[in-house]
Amino acid sequence: MRAFITMIYRQTKRFFRARSRVMGMIINPLIWLVFFGLGWSKVFNNPMARTIFGGVDYLTFLAPGIFAMTIFNQSFVSGVSVIWDKQFGFLKEVLVAPASRKETILGRLTGDSLLTTVQGLIILLLTFLLAENLKISGIIPALLIGFLLAIAFSGFGTSLALKMESMEGFQMIMMVLMLPLTFLSGAIYPIEAMPSWMKALAYINPLTYAVDGARYYLVGANVTKFSITIDWAVLSLLAVVLVGLAMVEFEKATID
Amino acid sequence: MYAIEVENLVKKYGDFEAVKGISFKVNKGEIFAFLGPNGAGKTTTVHVLTTLLRLTSGKATVAGHDVVKEPMEVRKKIGIVFQDPSLDRELTAYENMYIHGRIYGLTGNKLEEKIERLLKFVELWEFKDKPVKTFSGGMQRRLEIARSLLHEPEILFLDEPTIGLDPQTRAHIWDYIKAMKEEHNMTIFLTTHYMDEAEQLADRIAIIDHGKIIAEGTANELKKLVGNDVVYLKLEAPEEVKCLKAEFIKGCKILADGKVQLEVENAAEALPKLFTLVQHLGVKILEVTYHRPTLNDVFLHLTGREIREESGENPFKRIVRMRMRR
Repeated sequence: MRAFITMIYRQTKRFFRARSRVMGMIINPLIWLVFFGLGWSKVFNNPMARTIFGGVDYLTFLAPGIFAMTIFNQSFVSGVSVIWDKQFGFLKEVLVAPASRKETILGRLTGDSLLTTVQGLIILLLTFLLAENLKISGIIPALLIGFLLAIAFSGFGTSLALKMESMEGFQMIMMVLMLPLTFLSGAIYPIEAMPSWMKALAYINPLTYAVDGARYYLVGANVTKFSITIDWAVLSLLAVVLVGLAMVEFEKATID
Repeated sequence: MYAIEVENLVKKYGDFEAVKGISFKVNKGEIFAFLGPNGAGKTTTVHVLTTLLRLTSGKATVAGHDVVKEPMEVRKKIGIVFQDPSLDRELTAYENMYIHGRIYGLTGNKLEEKIERLLKFVELWEFKDKPVKTFSGGMQRRLEIARSLLHEPEILFLDEPTIGLDPQTRAHIWDYIKAMKEEHNMTIFLTTHYMDEAEQLADRIAIIDHGKIIAEGTANELKKLVGNDVVYLKLEAPEEVKCLKAEFIKGCKILADGKVQLEVENAAEALPKLFTLVQHLGVKILEVTYHRPTLNDVFLHLTGREIREESGENPFKRIVRMRMRR
């Protein structure tokens, strides 16, 4: 347990040391919500548009999507930040320690994911000020969905970072993965409205199930695409697989 | 039992053989140095011994445990200061120490007391709450040394502990290393490409080049590979002097300029004896100089090259610059 707790401690310390980064991570989703969401919500302020968005106003539809998007972005970035530990050498300190590596990396992922979930909470609270029909009772289950998403993608980012040789590939992967996955998740427009080939991609996009799950709890069952059981199942499976992968990769890690 | 025992260790990266079957033993409580130029395989060996790299073939035992079969047992007993920094730059000196201590199973008052004692030992206590990224290279090194001692390892690995530091800081770090050995009777495995460092610190030295150990022994033993100390005497009446003879004189030559060149095993001990001897002959000594072989001479003798770090300018660059000047 000691390595697990220690890594949570370390990630938390680091997080609060880099306040500007924290601000950046909150400001980005806010820009989406205000300048994108508020703008389009005026355009979509008619009964016909409301039916497209499951009978709710656009901001209410968008809010869970922005919440999931924030967590997704942040968790991926924090996972990949293992590459900084590689660059600045702290990774060696961890690898040479007589502590279970599986436990160490699990502690790191858990710490990062808790922090990411807290950021998700902040975004969620801010969206409550803008969107009309969000359910306060949905916050806690939505955060649990967020945590699963966070730990899954932290794990994915970590595995990726352990494989990566340098920082160069990093920006590239961000560009190739993050925006398309966001657009293909039903966060910004309903999956129903997509052409069938896009729909197919949306179905295999893990983020889709987090957006759907968050929407179930924050807005209601009438705006969701899948049953909540499927959302939980997909996210849990994904978290187990991706965290497991990160643990295996970390166990094998050497310092070539 | 030895602290470290290595037999026929080979480490390959693809086709490249970084370590080509080395064998050596390190006694408990001694400082053992790997001396060799950059790229000789020193760091690779350290990484294999500290379980961070898997060896290709051979056998390595550290603190009685096989590095391949029982890496966790090895990790419990070693401390390491890496060649490149391995601190968390965003955190403070104290936090770096604290996290290390926690990962190694230390807690509470005991941990706090140790951190304080060690940070004071390396004279960083007053900077304990400053982020490491604000530290100079020397301060970071000192913090890493303090950190590596926190869990009281049996064997300490120091990979080029003073590389890139100024002479004053280097001397300072040497003092810490000597103090550590004396206080804790710790076994220290040191790698370096500085001859003076190996000579100052090490009980025994292995000279390594191109992945092979080419000589091993104490600094004095190694120097004897090159030859004896040489003493030059300038006497008042050289033409009257024949070669000096005594048991401790291994060779004698009268040089063209009238000086006498004498080979002795240890110049420091031989000089007083020489003075008495010459006095007996009733001749006055005008000048005395002597030359002891350095470890650099040893390396030169064994490889035909000097060990010195390239002064940041390799021959190729020099050629390019000459071309550009034209």
